[in-house]
Amino acid sequence: MSPRIMVIDDEKIVGDMAKMSLEQEGYAVETFTSAEPALERLAQEKFDVVVTDLKMKGIDGMEVLRTVKRLYPETKVIMITAFANLDAAIEALRAEVHDFFPKPVKIKELKTSIQRALGK
Amino acid sequence: MKIERRIILSNTFNVALLVLIGLFAIQNLNLLLTKLRFVEIADDLNASFLEMRLSEKNYFLYSDESALFEIRGKIGKTMDSIEAMKNDISRAIGEDNFRTLTFYLKRYSDKVEEVRRKGGSEQLETQLREEGKKLKEFSEAITLLERQRANEIISNSKKALFYSFFAILFLAVLMSHLISQKIVRSLREIERLALAISEGNFGKIEKITTGDELASVIKAINFMSHELRNREEEIIQSKKLASLGILTAGVAHELTNPLNNISMIAQTYTELYGKLSTEERLDFMQKVEGETERIREIVKNLLDFSKPKEANLREADLNAVVQGGLRLVQNALDVSKIETKVTLGRGLPHVLVDEHQVQQVLVNLVVNAIQAMSPGGELFIATRYDKKRRSLEIEVKDTGKGIPAEFLPHVFDPFFSTKDAGGTGLGLSVSYGIIKNHRGNIRVESRVGSGTTFTIELPAYKKEEEKER
Repeated sequence: MSPRIMVIDDEKIVGDMAKMSLEQEGYAVETFTSAEPALERLAQEKFDVVVTDLKMKGIDGMEVLRTVKRLYPETKVIMITAFANLDAAIEALRAEVHDFFPKPVKIKELKTSIQRALGK
Repeated sequence: MKIERRIILSNTFNVALLVLIGLFAIQNLNLLLTKLRFVEIADDLNASFLEMRLSEKNYFLYSDESALFEIRGKIGKTMDSIEAMKNDISRAIGEDNFRTLTFYLKRYSDKVEEVRRKGGSEQLETQLREEGKKLKEFSEAITLLERQRANEIISNSKKALFYSFFAILFLAVLMSHLISQKIVRSLREIERLALAISEGNFGKIEKITTGDELASVIKAINFMSHELRNREEEIIQSKKLASLGILTAGVAHELTNPLNNISMIAQTYTELYGKLSTEERLDFMQKVEGETERIREIVKNLLDFSKPKEANLREADLNAVVQGGLRLVQNALDVSKIETKVTLGRGLPHVLVDEHQVQQVLVNLVVNAIQAMSPGGELFIATRYDKKRRSLEIEVKDTGKGIPAEFLPHVFDPFFSTKDAGGTGLGLSVSYGIIKNHRGNIRVESRVGSGTTFTIELPAYKKEEEKER
């Protein structure tokens, strides 16, 4: 079965592009523009990797990270943010983030990171 | 004249009046005393005259010679006492009456002497009686007259004191009214200015008519207002500097997102080039265009914010400016199915504005209103003139979701935005700068659930102001 990837970003284009590109690698990709429905979906199905934006209205990326790590510890979380600052990176590291990318994101690097997360 | 001096003057005047009334009362009392003293003396004299007449009767009835001696003795005594009290009497009844009195007494005395020498004939008897009667009548007449005069003096003093009491009261009230009126008028001016200052209009009181203490207060307040205006500009400037810090962070976030989007589109486009259909390629490029537009908008607002363009002020009809601005957003209103009700005030004075800048503000407000409302919402736009404040108002009122009270003080802060998507948080901040630059004011009232009202105030244009600028 192909690995399942979830992308959460309030910028719709990020999800659209990530989906198109990641599907080329044979991943099953689902995208969300806010955290609430994404977390609901996670409760239904196991995802291998969650790629989430940090700064979002409502539930933010840091909360997504903590929730995922608490409920589904095997799921890896990769964080992307337009607000690349050290404090956020450290906080994310402590919450066991798999990787942390400042925007603009290099899709190739993101793919490499996902591969590592999947243990390949 | 200083108020202090005016009060002292009016008090001095009143005190002088009181002293005059006092002197008048003392004089009246003195006169009254004189009159009373005379009435006392006259009563004695009248008693003596009565005794003389009794003796006179005795003489004629009983031809008693000794009665004549008695009369003579009494006349002598009376003359002595009249002589002794000459000053008192003549002061009371006057020199003429005094002389008449002594003259009558002398004539009576002479007659008594004549009767005594010649013996009592019928003719002399009649003459003596005549003289006695004249003397007594005259004496009684002046006594009566003096009593009357004493009463008159008392009643006159009573009247004079009564009226002067009211005169002083009236003067005192009038003076304090005049003084307080002036103070109140100046205070009202000061109050008006203070109120205007508290609303952010740093005007000044033009007319300083009085040369009193309030004039110095008004001068001080005018100076304060002037300083406040300078300070406000400094504060706005420093606020701008402070927001540069927020700006860096804001710009980072605002610009990074569309940049990231473009970057990801480009990467995906390159990666999937061969696999993309023509439609998909075109869609990708349109998305890039859309993101570029987003960046352009942010940069434009930033430029407007950091360096407001010099206002190109021209005399204009506010209604025409508003109608021009509304034409710019008519399409957006139609698309969003917002019904617009425009109420333009009639006979408004002109304003001195940069038409494009004011329209930019109006467009900002209308666009915000559209975004706050769902289709079918109503937008009210009105212009009016506030005569008292000499300012024109543009009101933009929506029936949208409203702004929570805790956000209201921040709506004009740079990078403050309540919009979920889009919105740089600069629109209202730029609008605020523009209106302040026009010496105007912009304020907001809002209620969650029922809507938001923005009111722009602009000063009415006066020809003289042009020279000042």
